[in-house]
Amino acid sequence: MVGMSLLRTAAAFTARLNPLKRTCQSSNLLSRTVVRSEQVVVRYGSHGKRMFIIKPTDFYDRRFLHLLKYYILLAGIPVAALVTFVNIFIGESELAEIPEGYEPEHWEYYKHPITRWIARTFYDSPVKDYEKMMALIQMEAEKAEMRQLQLEVRRHMREKGDGPWFQIQTLDKNLIDHSPKSSPDN
Amino acid sequence: MPKDHDKDVYPEPPSRTPVEDRQSSLPNPALILSKLFYYSVDLPVTTFRVCLACLSSGKKSHYYHQKFRRVPELTQCQEGDYVCYYEAEMQWRRDYKVDQEIVKVIQERLRACQQREGPSYSQNCYKELQQFEQVSKAFQSRYGDLGAYASARKCLMKQKERMMAEQQQA
Repeated sequence: MVGMSLLRTAAAFTARLNPLKRTCQSSNLLSRTVVRSEQVVVRYGSHGKRMFIIKPTDFYDRRFLHLLKYYILLAGIPVAALVTFVNIFIGESELAEIPEGYEPEHWEYYKHPITRWIARTFYDSPVKDYEKMMALIQMEAEKAEMRQLQLEVRRHMREKGDGPWFQIQTLDKNLIDHSPKSSPDN
Repeated sequence: MPKDHDKDVYPEPPSRTPVEDRQSSLPNPALILSKLFYYSVDLPVTTFRVCLACLSSGKKSHYYHQKFRRVPELTQCQEGDYVCYYEAEMQWRRDYKVDQEIVKVIQERLRACQQREGPSYSQNCYKELQQFEQVSKAFQSRYGDLGAYASARKCLMKQKERMMAEQQQA
């Protein structure tokens, strides 16, 4: 009976001193009286009930979209700023009649300043391209004409045989040994 | 600011709105709406464009239309003169583009005329209709059905076929 009461007090004591449920750590730990504090359910207007929502992961999708936006804007914003400033501060060219005796450069036939810059820095003038094409055509025409002529000449030389082509070299006459001819019917 | 269309080329017919003779003292809603539109949309946009024009640097560069010299055509080239063929081909391509643009201009004129005249267009824009018909017939007979790989030679062959057909009919 005494042991039971001892056990009961010990159980109550450990329940109060439970490290998992340590509600108060004040000086009334070792006293036998239990201080009951009022426990009221607090209703916050903002949090609501905290839920652990179970849904499939959106980490990879969000990461992809984030990286997409990042890499697009990394080059997109400078390019957009550049084009905006060029359009505002430099502005497009105006159409004018060609002055007398003046040959405009090949980039002066374009309107937008960026197009003009590209034509001036990177591209050859269309006149030069035209001349390059005509030079290529001329060279190919000359090659074709040469080939045709060669075939014609071949035909003639084969037929007539009096040209330098299609000559078959024979031995030197001095190398022939005529000594067996001095004694025929041997 | 982008320019408006040329008022001499596309003239507007004289308006026949009657003189206003208001009897009521209520405010005119059309006037109110037009003023609203002006102050909310037109004025800010115009001031923005004017500011941008002020910001741009003063010196203006010019751009020109390129003028090309005429070179001998395909019929005037010697046979086997490939350089002459190339120049004639390039000239034909430029002329093809110019003809396409001419047809577009005539189409635009007819469209503007129809928009202006409304239901009575077949009577009022007779000139534009005739012009469009003539130009499109000519374009079809010269360049029609040549396809995407059109060339000066194909056009010449088409012309030959046309002339042969005409001769056979006569």
